[in-house]
Formats: sequence, C-alpha cells, structure tokens
Amino acid sequence: MHTKAHTVIPIQPVPYSRSRQAGESQTVLDQITKDFDDNPQAMQYFYDLFQKVYCQGEAVPHEGMLVGTTCIQAPEELIYAFGATPMRLCNGSYHYDQRGGDFMPAKSCSLVKATLGMLSAEHVIPNIGKPDLIVNPTTCDQKKKSSAMIEGLGYAVFDLEFPNVKESEASRVYWQRAVREFAQRLRTLTGKKLTRKNLRAAIAKIARAQVAFRKLHHFRQLSPSIILGKDAFLVTNAYFFDNIDSWTAAVEKLNEELAQREQDGIRAVQKKAPRVLFTGSPPIFPNLKLPLLIEESGGVVVADETCSSNRMLYDMTAVDEWWLNDMVDSLADKYLKPCTCPIFTKNDDRKRRLLELVNQFQADGVVYQAFAGCQVYEMEVKSVADAFNQAGIPMLYIETDYSPDDKGQMSTRIEAFLESLKAKKKRQA
Amino acid sequence: MNKNYFAGIDVGSTAIKVALVDEDGKMAGEHVTPSGSLFHKNSLAALADLLAQTGVQRERVRYLIATGYGRKLFKEADDSISEITANAMGAFETGKAYGGVRTIINIGGQDSKAIQIDDTGSVVHFVMNDKCAAGTGRFLDVAARNLELDLEELGEYHFKGTCAPLKINSTCTVFAESEIIGLLANGHGKSEIIAGIHYSIAVRTARLARRVGLEKHVYFDGGPALNKGLVAALQEELGCQIIVPEFPQTTTAFGAAILARNEFLAEVEDAH
Amino acid sequence: MKPNKPARKVAGKSPTNVPVKALHPHLQALRDAVNQVDFNRFRFWFQLVAFVLFVYGGYLAIDLGSKLPFFSCGYNKEGRAGVCYLLPLQHQLGRPLAMLFTAAGLTILTGFLTFALWFIVLNKGWCGFVCPLGTLQDWITALRKSLGIRYAKYSQSQFAQLTKIKYVLLALMILIPLGIGGGLFSHDMSPPFCLICPARMILPVFTADFSQFTVDFSTKTAVVMTVLGMLVTALFLVGSFVKKRFFCFFCPMSALHYLISKAALFKLKKDGDKCTRCGDCYRVCDMEIKEIADDVTTKDIMTDDCTLCLKCVASCPEPGALKATFCGIPIFEATEAGFIQRMQKGHSDAH
Repeated sequence: MHTKAHTVIPIQPVPYSRSRQAGESQTVLDQITKDFDDNPQAMQYFYDLFQKVYCQGEAVPHEGMLVGTTCIQAPEELIYAFGATPMRLCNGSYHYDQRGGDFMPAKSCSLVKATLGMLSAEHVIPNIGKPDLIVNPTTCDQKKKSSAMIEGLGYAVFDLEFPNVKESEASRVYWQRAVREFAQRLRTLTGKKLTRKNLRAAIAKIARAQVAFRKLHHFRQLSPSIILGKDAFLVTNAYFFDNIDSWTAAVEKLNEELAQREQDGIRAVQKKAPRVLFTGSPPIFPNLKLPLLIEESGGVVVADETCSSNRMLYDMTAVDEWWLNDMVDSLADKYLKPCTCPIFTKNDDRKRRLLELVNQFQADGVVYQAFAGCQVYEMEVKSVADAFNQAGIPMLYIETDYSPDDKGQMSTRIEAFLESLKAKKKRQA
Repeated sequence: MNKNYFAGIDVGSTAIKVALVDEDGKMAGEHVTPSGSLFHKNSLAALADLLAQTGVQRERVRYLIATGYGRKLFKEADDSISEITANAMGAFETGKAYGGVRTIINIGGQDSKAIQIDDTGSVVHFVMNDKCAAGTGRFLDVAARNLELDLEELGEYHFKGTCAPLKINSTCTVFAESEIIGLLANGHGKSEIIAGIHYSIAVRTARLARRVGLEKHVYFDGGPALNKGLVAALQEELGCQIIVPEFPQTTTAFGAAILARNEFLAEVEDAH
Repeated sequence: MKPNKPARKVAGKSPTNVPVKALHPHLQALRDAVNQVDFNRFRFWFQLVAFVLFVYGGYLAIDLGSKLPFFSCGYNKEGRAGVCYLLPLQHQLGRPLAMLFTAAGLTILTGFLTFALWFIVLNKGWCGFVCPLGTLQDWITALRKSLGIRYAKYSQSQFAQLTKIKYVLLALMILIPLGIGGGLFSHDMSPPFCLICPARMILPVFTADFSQFTVDFSTKTAVVMTVLGMLVTALFLVGSFVKKRFFCFFCPMSALHYLISKAALFKLKKDGDKCTRCGDCYRVCDMEIKEIADDVTTKDIMTDDCTLCLKCVASCPEPGALKATFCGIPIFEATEAGFIQRMQKGHSDAH
C-alpha cells in the first residue's frame, strides 16, 4: 500500500490591515492623497481618519446606543435627542459588494449589495460594532425589500415609512406621523423621554455641522477651484461614521484654511480645468471611482447632487415656536419637502436643483452616474438629460457599478467628455 | 527638409495604427500593425516603420498624440487623448471631401461607438458599447474562424448568397459560435450565414447610432468598415447612405495627428 | 489629457467668485445689517410704536385722516390718530341711494382713492406691522407662548374653505349699507361690519372706554347686531389665543387690500429658481400659506391671506429666494447668514 503524503496548508489568519479588503481602501486612499499635489493641510484629519478606520480596521467609538441608518431620510436629530448615536450604514466597498452578491439577485444595485454584504460579515468595516437598531426608510424598492433581509441577518430593524409622492398634503401628514412613530420607537429602545431641551440641543448640534458644511460648499464656488471634489467627498463621507463634534471642528478648520487659500490666491486646478457637477447614485468610500477619474483626467468636481454629500447636509430646519411637536414636525418637513431623491413620482425639484447648481457653481458640464440596477436613477436620466439639453448644458451619463475592472472604459468616456467641454470653452472664449 | 510633421498613434487592443500629417494638415502616411502582447514595444516599432516608410526623421515629428486603450502606456507621446475625440476629428477632416460629416459610426476590435459632432469637429454626444463583444470586430473574427474563411473574404461572400440572410438569434458572440456551427451542420450556405452575421451586427450598430441621433452625413470607420458586406447591411438598417473612407482603420490615428498639429500650433501662438 | 497640475501660488490674484454686482462697501454693510437683523425684536418694536401712535395719538392731536388701511378704530374716540377706512366707507355707502348718483357720490370715489394711496405704500404690510388689531393678536400669541401652550393649525382642506369667508364679509359689508340706503334694512344695521368687528369693543378699552361692551336693547335689530358683536369678540379672543392671527383670515379689509394690491409699491417677491422647497417659510407662516413654499413660478408671491409680516423672508436660508422690495429695490432679503443667526438664537433661547 502506498499512501501519498499530502500537505495540509494551515489557514493563516491575516490581520485586517493586510487583507485584500483593506487593500482596496488603501489603494483609493493613496490615490486621493498621493496622486495630487498640495492637498490642504486640514485634510490630514480626514486622511488619517480613513486610514485608521478603513485601512487599519480600528474601532469607531460612539456614545449611547448605536442606531444604524440606511438612508439620509432618517431624522438624525431625533436619534441624538434620545442620547443615541446615528451612523450611516450605506457601504462603498467592492469586497462587500461581492459578498452581498452571494445571496442578493445578480441585477441588484451595488450599494444595497454592499450594505447587506457588510451586515452579513463577521467583522464589519468600518468597525462600528453591532447597531442596537437599524432604521430603514422605505425609499427605493431594493432598500424596502432589504429590510426583511437585514432582520434575517439578526438585526433589529425599524421600517420608517416614507411617502412616494411629495406634493400631496396626505403624504406630508403621513410622513409626519411616521416620524413620530420613529420617535416612539427610539423611546422604547433607549428608555429615555424626548424633551424639548434635548431635541433643541440635537437640532443645534446638527445645525452647527450644516453651517460648517455650507461654508465648505460655498468655497467650492470659487473659480478656479481651491479645493478638489475628491477631498470634499471624503469630508462628507466621513460624516457617516465620525463623531459629529470632531467632524464639525475639523471642517471648521478646513474652512479656515480655505479662507486663507482664497486670500493667498492658491488654486487647486488650472484655470481651464473643466468644472463638473456630479449627480446620481452616491459615491461612497472606497468607491470614489468616477470623481477620482474625473479629477485625474484634469477636470474638477465643483459640486454634487448626491445623498452621500450635498443632499445629506444642505437643507436647514426652521422652527417658529420651539414646542416639542413643532420641532418634530419641522424636522419631518425638512426631510421630506426639499428632498430630490429619484424615488418620488415627479422630479421637478431635482431638475430645478441641478440647474441652479450648474448656475451657481459655473459648471461646464454634468456627469450623471447610475449604478447598474438602480432603476430610479436610470429612469430619471431621460428627463434630466432633456432638461440639460434645453438649457444647453452638456451631460455625460455613465452606468457603472462597484467593480474596478471598467476603469479603462470609464476613463475613455470621461476623458472624451472633458475634452469636449474644454473644446467648447475654447470656442466660447 | 525642415518641414514639421505631426503624428498620431492609436494603440488599440487588436491593432496599432499610426498616421503622419504634414504642416498643412494633409495625410503624409499611415501604417497598421497587430498589437500583439507587447504594446509598448510594438507601438515604438510601428512608429519607426511609418517614419522609415515615409522617410521622415523622428526629430521632425514636432508633436505626437497617443490614443486608444493603450494611450497611457505610450509615454513617448507628448499628450494622450480619448479615441472618441480623435476619431471625431479624423472623420471631420476626411469628411470635408464628402460634403461634411455629422454622425460617425466606429466598429473596432472590441467595441463600437457612435459619435455626433458639430460643424467644428467637436464631439457633441457619444454612446459606446464596450461591455459586450457582440456587434464588434471580435464577432467577425469568431465567425470567420468557424466558417474557415479569411476576414477579407467575408465581404464578397455576403453578396454571393441566393437565399435570404439567416437570422442569428444569439446575442452573445460566444454562444453565436454554437449557433453558426449548428447552421452549417444543417446544410445552410456560408453566404447566408455570413449575411446573417452582418445583419446582426448592423442591427445592433444601428440601434447605437439612433441613440446618438442620425444626422447627415453618416461616416463609418474602424477595421470592419473594410468589409463591404457589412457596409451594405448597415446601410440597409440605417436607411441612408454611408460614407466609408479609403483607409477606415486609420481615421482615429489621423484625427490624433491633426489634433497634435493643432496643439503644437496653439502652444506656439501662446508663446508669442 | 494631462492630470491636474500642482497648485501654484499666484501672488495678488485671488480666485474670482460667481460675478455679483459689487456694491459700495458702506451700502453692503447696511444691507448685511438689515438682512441679519434680529427680526422678531425689530417687528415687536415697530408694532408697539405703531400701536401707541394709532391708539393714543389722538391725545397729541395727531389726525391722519379717515381713510386708513388698517383697524385704527373710529370708536376709540379719544385716542385714535385717524380712522379705519371701513367705517366712513360703510357710512358713505349707507346714504340714500339717490345720493350716490350725485356729487356726494363722488366722495366715495375720492375716499377710495385716498385709501388706495395710503395702501400702496406698504401693501399688506399695514396688516403685519401697523394694524392695532393685528398687533393685539400677536401679543395674545406671546401670552400663549409664555404660558407654554401650543398653537392650533388648520388642515389644508379647512384652510381652503375658511379663506373664502373674508370675501363674503367684504361683499356683505358693501351690500348691506347699499341695502340700508335703499331702505331694505334698518339703520340699526349700520355700519354692519363695525357692529360685529372685535376692534370696536376691544380697542377703546385701551383708553379706558368700556362703553362698547353693551347690548343695545332699543330695537330687535340692534340687539341682534350687538349680541353678534359680543360673540364675535369672544370668538376673536379665544381664536387668537389658540391660532396665530386668527382674525386676519376673515378680515374684509384684507380682502379689499388684495383686490388692489397689484399697484402696491411694497411687494413680496420670490425667485423660484433659488427655492429648494424646503418649506421653512411655510412652517413659520402665521397664516399657514402653502404657496409661499410650493409655488416656484410666481414672482409676486403675496397671496390674499398674507399679512406681509415677512417672517418667511426671515426664515429662508436660500439667498435671494424671498425678498421684500419697495419700488423694486430690495429692502429685506433672505440670506444664509441671517437665517443662521436667527435660528441659532432659537436654539439657545429659553422659552
């Protein structure tokens, strides 16, 4: 008898920082920091943050209970008012996208696949720990259906009922009631009561962050740009999980530096770099593929209309009389009325917003990204393209997903688009 | 001779095309060679071959632009530009002789595109199919191989058919292989099969072109444009006359060379 | 295409912003001060001064005529600094019909013209900043707030119905005096609106005149009218306690204003392109006007219910989306800085 000896290759545990998943984040972070010269010094806070959280896998601390959100429609002010911490779970990692693809339909949107892939993982990156509750607004179909899946993965989920029609009074009342239901749920979760003082403080906290963001937003109007879009996206992506007070302080510092840059006349791009407005499915770190491609090809993303950046922080709440119910209703209105998400039946507000952004930021063209499988963004392409066509604003529509292997094709399209913008500018000069 | 020359090199996935243009913007020479696996080496060789062919010294080539998928790898170039812009410019220039071109259809080795340009040769709108090999030169390669023919023969076989072209149902190039073999086995003629393949490509391409908007005149370039059968099928699908240049493979490289000339002249002007 | 070149310091040349018409620095500073004013405090003082002027001005022999476009109640015999136009209007219309077609009838036209000239200066801003009855309602609202009680709201369908009432009252206010002049109704119904107007009973109280708080038993009509008046006043007090500017919804003066508001010099303008429809203006509007937030095409955004109190402008975070203009010149504009300052005050204010 002759037994063939076989070798057993022991499974070596690889520390996260050397895993392929971390490698994906490291590659993108290196692109952001090293491929461009003269990054603002205040951005180091954010570079370090992403290095720690996405590349080293360090734990992300939070105060009180952790409430995960899957959409910007979840009123974070309420979560803070109950002494809990909100964290946006929407994920941008190709690694998790692949993982989610194991049990999700092949044609689903990468973002939802990645989020579910992350939630199904043993060790979640960013390392936020297990949320005590996940709030899932019923916005798009895939998000809606993933609610049951997330529950199946062992999480407590709250379905926040969000209307599909924004114009009617009925939906406004429906949403106000849904927000109150949410407050009730938070009360059960945390065991605390909602008080005027706490809610006011929460509104004030978020308002401070919004004020800091708006200032950054306005700095991006300068022509030639003094800060690149890749940095702006990183800043807003950090808002997903960073402590809000440290985030606000870091952004305020960045604003100071930008004010100095404006005074000193420092530019981040050449004068003839095409200015691009980015809209559509949200770029979430590490999937900053398209904005990076645009800027590596000589363009600059001056503004965006996405829920991982501008839309998350722009609209501010006004309250007339600071009663508890009044504040809650004001919040509800703020989250619904100006929302330009494509899940609504009509998209007039989105079109107007886009045109106004092009105007304010002197954008030369628009890049519209839709994740393959995201029906709502895909279906709005026609009406948005028509609106831009009428206004004489060039638009490039790109359908893509999280996979890094279409970079060649993407760069051809983006370069061609930027070249046509440059040629147009030259002709008009 | 102290004349200035400008060159464009189109580093494609299947073939490398080089074009030379003189001071007046006229085509001075062009050359096509397979890409092989060593893009960089073969690109340098292609350029050297063209210069030897035309008797132009390398120092006289004042500006070189690289285009195509491999454009970033060719570091000897002074600049790189997307093949869409280059193709547009090339078609615009050659199209002047035909009364002006507004819509360009390009079928390459691995992709196909439709471009709409304005009256200055600038790209207004474009659509690409670079996700799927169906409707590209690769489909023709596969078909030729299965039918045991040379690529160059496909064109004449198209017109030899006595029956109507067969319909190829597979949307995927790989699956279409099995379909073609099956049709051959059932005794169908090569001509009808070839015509069917041409129409299959034509339908797909026409759809792409309609998305970008058909405006007179329509120009067709890329290697497969040498295939007269395919041109006939495409014309029928589009329902309009198509212009095919004498050297459809090198339109893009020619466009890159023209852009190289423009860029050089602009820099000279800036310096003054 | 070449990648982005490194940043270069260009001494002296700063990046240009979106081109904005550059204002003289002093003018810009004034504009900023106005746009970032503590709006609530400004309005409070303005209203207080106007109230004192029109309720007590009579003691200083101030008389601004009897064609005033707001409730400077004529029944406040000693203190009034002028008379609310509705009183002389009803009297004029109530003259025998035959007189209307004589030269005396012309006085109605000249009276109306004087009223119109007063009106066009502030448009419906008379309601929001000057009208003593309006101011009174705002004070009652302040009382409610200090007691920690929430306000009531109308639903949109209620709103749609209730807003028509002011036109009905305006029509009655014109038809009944004509009816009196034509002999159809008794003189005890004259002036019909003043008899039910809460200002008649309440404003004289400020000059220690309680004489209006009576039921006139002389005739049946008089009883009905004066009792009605009491009821309306009671309704007014309760209503304005639970709802901001309750009476203004039903005010016939408001209806009359709106009919001639096109000619006004002071206007509320909206730039729909800049509006994000965030609804902040709608939230703070005392009158719960939805159009202010949702209508993005109309430029002259003042509706018939609007009192031009400008709270909407004060609570709008989008620069230039809403503004109050006088003869086209922006007086008070929505600015981000103004919004932030006012909301921050709300964040930290203790109620």
